Amino acid sequence: MAGGSVSECKEYLFKVLVIGELGVGKTSIIKRYVHQLFSQHYRATIGVDFALKVINWDSKTLVRLQLWDIAGQERFGNMTRVYYKEAVGAFVVFDMTRGSTFEAVSKWKHDLDSKVKLANGSPIPSVLLANKCDQKKDGSNNTAPMDNFCKETGFLGWFETSAKDNINVDEAARFLVENILANDKGLPYEESNGDRVKLDQETVAAESKSGCC
Amino acid sequence: MAAEGLPCEFDVVILGTGLVESVVAAACSRVGQRVLHLDRRSYYAANWASFTFNGLLDWIQRRQEPPPQPDELQDWSSLLEEGEELIYLCNADSSSVSNVQVFSFTREEEESVSPPSTTEEEEAAAAAEVEEAEEETTQSTDIKEKESKEETFNEEDDGQAAGVDGEEHEAPPPDNQSRKKVSYSELLDKGRRFNIDLVSKLMFSRGSLIDLLIKSNVSRYAEFKNVSRILTCRHGNVEQVPCSRADVFGSRQLSVVEKRKLMRFLTSVVEETEQQTAYSGRPYLDFLCEQQLGDNLQHFLLHSIAMVTEDTPTEEGLASTRHFLRCLGRYGNTPFLFPVYGLGEIPQCFCRMSAVFGGIYCLRHTVHCLLLDKSNNRCKAVIDSRGQRISCSHFVVEEGYVATERKKVVTPTRSISRAVLITDASVLPAHSDQQVSLVTVPPVAAGAPVVKMVELCSSTMTCIPGTYLVHLTCQSVGSAYEDLSPVVTRMFNTPESHDQETCPSVLWCLYFNMVDGSGVQVQGHDLPPNVYVCSGPDGGLGHEHAVTQAESIFRNILPDEEFCPPAPNPEDIIYDGDSAPSTGEEEKQGEEKGEEEAGQSERGEGTGVEEVGQSESGEE
Ligand SMILES: Cc1cc2nc3c(=O)[nH]c(=O)nc-3n(C[C@H](O)[C@H](O)[C@H](O)COP(=O)(O)OP(=O)(O)OC[C@H]3O[C@@H](n4cnc5c(N)ncnc54)[C@H](O)[C@@H]3O)c2cc1C
Ligand SMILES: Nc1nc2c(ncn2[C@@H]2O[C@H](COP(=O)(O)OP(=O)(O)OP(=O)(O)O)[C@@H](O)[C@H]2O)c(=O)[nH]1
Ligand SMILES: [Mg+2]
Repeated sequence: MAGGSVSECKEYLFKVLVIGELGVGKTSIIKRYVHQLFSQHYRATIGVDFALKVINWDSKTLVRLQLWDIAGQERFGNMTRVYYKEAVGAFVVFDMTRGSTFEAVSKWKHDLDSKVKLANGSPIPSVLLANKCDQKKDGSNNTAPMDNFCKETGFLGWFETSAKDNINVDEAARFLVENILANDKGLPYEESNGDRVKLDQETVAAESKSGCC
Repeated sequence: MAAEGLPCEFDVVILGTGLVESVVAAACSRVGQRVLHLDRRSYYAANWASFTFNGLLDWIQRRQEPPPQPDELQDWSSLLEEGEELIYLCNADSSSVSNVQVFSFTREEEESVSPPSTTEEEEAAAAAEVEEAEEETTQSTDIKEKESKEETFNEEDDGQAAGVDGEEHEAPPPDNQSRKKVSYSELLDKGRRFNIDLVSKLMFSRGSLIDLLIKSNVSRYAEFKNVSRILTCRHGNVEQVPCSRADVFGSRQLSVVEKRKLMRFLTSVVEETEQQTAYSGRPYLDFLCEQQLGDNLQHFLLHSIAMVTEDTPTEEGLASTRHFLRCLGRYGNTPFLFPVYGLGEIPQCFCRMSAVFGGIYCLRHTVHCLLLDKSNNRCKAVIDSRGQRISCSHFVVEEGYVATERKKVVTPTRSISRAVLITDASVLPAHSDQQVSLVTVPPVAAGAPVVKMVELCSSTMTCIPGTYLVHLTCQSVGSAYEDLSPVVTRMFNTPESHDQETCPSVLWCLYFNMVDGSGVQVQGHDLPPNVYVCSGPDGGLGHEHAVTQAESIFRNILPDEEFCPPAPNPEDIIYDGDSAPSTGEEEKQGEEKGEEEAGQSERGEGTGVEEVGQSESGEE
C-alpha cells in the first residue's frame, strides 16, 4: 500500500491489522495511540472501521497508518477478506492477566499468515503485544520464554504495553513501522495499482459533466 | 479463537451470504438492528463467491460427489413451546449448479516444480527450460486421484465424451505448443493468486450497485478497474467497438461517413422522438435499419451498445442504448467497472459493513428450522445447527435453503450457462497487455444463444501474470458445454479447434450451469410473512436485480428507516473518553442521528453483545 513519491517527500499508506481475543484491549490500544484517550468502560466496538495515524517519520517520509480493528462482532474467526486485504503489518494482542488470551495467540497468528502475504510470499510483519501490563501481578521476568515464543511463532518481537498508562504503545508502533518500511523496498506489484478506481462521495461531487459522446 | 455460543435474541437473522442477503445485512445493521448473519458454507458469498484456483477445484469436486446424506432429520419438537409449530429448512444447495465439466490442456511436468523460494523471473526461466526439455503430455485435472474417473477421449469421439455430466476429461495434447508456458503445476502453485468468480457480471458505472456502494460508503472496501474496451466478434474476427467520442474519432475501422453517422445517431438517440415512438413494439433492428447506418454500425449498436437481440422491441433497445450512454465517461472509456480481486469481494464488503455496525458473523453454521407462532402466523425464532433457539423478528434466507414442499416453483426454471477459461493471451492483443474487455458474441448459429464474454487481465488480481481469465455467460439453451463450447472452439485454440494457432490457447476450462436468479420466485411461498426469500445471481450483465430485491426486502422489514445511509468516515470519528465514538457529522445532523447513537450504546450494553463478550472461549 505504498503511496507514490512526491518529489523529495515519500508518502506511505500502511494498513495494519489489530487482532486478538475479546476484551484484550485492541480498541483501547488504537484509541490510546491515535487519540491519546483511554476509557475504563468496556463496550463492544461498533461503527469504527479503522483509525488513522499520521506519522512524520523523518524529514523525507510521511507515513499514514491505518489501524484496522476487528469489527465489533466479526469475532468468530470468520473475518471477510476485506479485512485482511492488502494489510502490510499486524499487531496480535493478548491480555497479560488472562492466560487463555495468550493461548489463542498462535491461532490468530496462524490465521493471519494463511490469509495474507507480502508480494514476495513471506508473511506480513507482526508484533505481539502483551497488554494491560499495568495490572501485572508479579514482578517476574519472562523475557527469555517470550523471545523464544516469538521466534517460533514468527513474530518480529513483543512489547509489554498498557493502553491505560500509555506504556510502550508508541514504541511498538514505531518498531512495526520500521519493519514495514524495510520490507517496502522490494514491493514490486504496487506500481501496477496506479490505475485502480476508488469510488467515493468526493469523486461523485467533483465528477465532470463530461457525460457521453 | 472463536467465542462460543451466540446471543439468543436478534432483530434479524439472515441465512446465506450472497449479494442480496449481504446488502440486507449491512442495511439493517447500519440502522441499529441486531443482525445475525450465517452461512452453512465455509466461505462467504454463496453462488456469488470467487475462489482461488485450488479453491475452485475443491468446489468442483464437491459438485461431483454424490450429495451428502441429508442430516437425519433431528426432532426439535422438544424445543417447542405452547402454540408453536416447526418449519424445516433444507440443506441442499447443490441443485443450483449442474453439468459441471472440466478440461485441462496444460502440459504435465515431470520434474518437480521450482522451489518456492525462487523469484518470479527464475520461475519463468525454469518453466521455459522445462518446456524445451520435456515431452508433451496432458495433465489430468484430477488432483485428488482416488475419486476421479478418468476418461481419455480423442478427437473423433470427444463430442460424446464431453456430453457426460460431472466427469473430468483428459484432453489430447494440443498440436501447437509454441506459446504454452504455464503448466498445470504452476496454476496450482500460484493458485492463490487467482480469484475466479462463479458469476460473471460487470458494474454499470451509473448502475444501482455503484450508486449504493457510493451512497453507503461501502465503496471504501473495494477498488475497481475500468473495463478498458468493448469488443465484438464479427465474421469470425474480434473487433473493437468504438463507444466514446474519442474512440469514434480515433477508430480506424470506421470510415469518415460512418463516424459522422454514428455520432449523429448517438446524439439523437438520447432524446425521444416521434420516429422512435412509431417503432414501439417493432424490433430495434428494424429501427436501426431505417437509420441507414450500414452493417458495421448496426452490428455495434445492436450487439455491443444496446446488447440486445435482433427481435428486441425498439423501446427496450433504445432504453438500453441510453443507459449505456449515461454510464459512459463517468470513470473511463467504457460504461463499466470491475472490482479488483473479483466480484466475490462485493458481498463481503457489505458483510464487513454489517460487522462494523455490530452484525455477528458465523460461517459453517446454519438454521435447521423456524419456529412459527401459530397465533399470528409469524416466525418468532429459529433453531440453529447447534440446537440453540434464537428469537428474531425477521428471517431473511437464500432461496436454496427453502424446502421444496414450501416452494412455489416456476416452471420451467431458467438457467445460465457459464464457462471459465484460463488462457495464455488476449483475444485481441493491444499495445498494453493489461486490458479488461467485454466481448459481445452474437449467436454463432440460428437458435444459438447470445454470449457475453469478459476477459480479465492479471492486474485485476484475478489471475497470474501471463494468463487471462475469461468468463463466458449466456441464457441456457442446452448444457453449458453445448451452449458455449462452439464459441470457445471458434475464438480460442483448443484441441478441438482447427488452424487457430494464432488464437489464445486455453490452458484450463470449466463449464457449468447455474439456476438463473431472475427466474426464481421470491414471493408466494408457503412461508410466514416475516420470512423473506432472496434469489441467487441472475443472468443479467449488471446488478440491478439483486440491489432492487435487497432494497425491497429492507423496506418490508423497516419501512421507516433509510436504506444504507453513509457510514461515517473513520477519519471523522471523534472519541470523547467515555462514550461511544461519535462523528462531527452526526452532531450536525442533530436528533435523528442522536437517537441512532443511543440505539447503538444500548446495544453495546445490552444482553446480546455482553453475553458474547463474557463467554470466553475455552477451546484449544
Ligand atoms: C481479496 C484478496 C485480497 C488479497 N490481498 C492481498 C494482499 O493484500 N497482500 C498479499 O500479499 N496478498 C493478498 N492476497 C493474496 C494474493 O492474491 C496472493 O495470494 C498472495 O499475494 C501471494 O500468495 P502466495 O504466496 O500464495 O502466491 P504465490 O503465487 O505462491 O507467490 C507469489 C510470489 O511469491 C513467491 N513465493 C511463493 N511462495 C513463496 C515462498 N514460500 N517463499 C518465497 N517466495 C514465495 C512466488 O514465486 C511469487 O513470486 C489477496 C487475496 C485476496 C483474495
Ligand atoms: N488496566 C488496563 N485495562 C485495559 C487496558 N487496555 C484495555 N483495558 C480495558 O480492557 C477492556 C477491554 O478493552 P477494549 O479495548 O474494549 O478491548 P477490545 O480488544 O477492543 O475488545 P473487543 O472489541 O470486544 O474484542 C476495557 O474495559 C478497557 O478499559 C490496559 O492497558 N490496562
Ligand atoms: Mg474492540
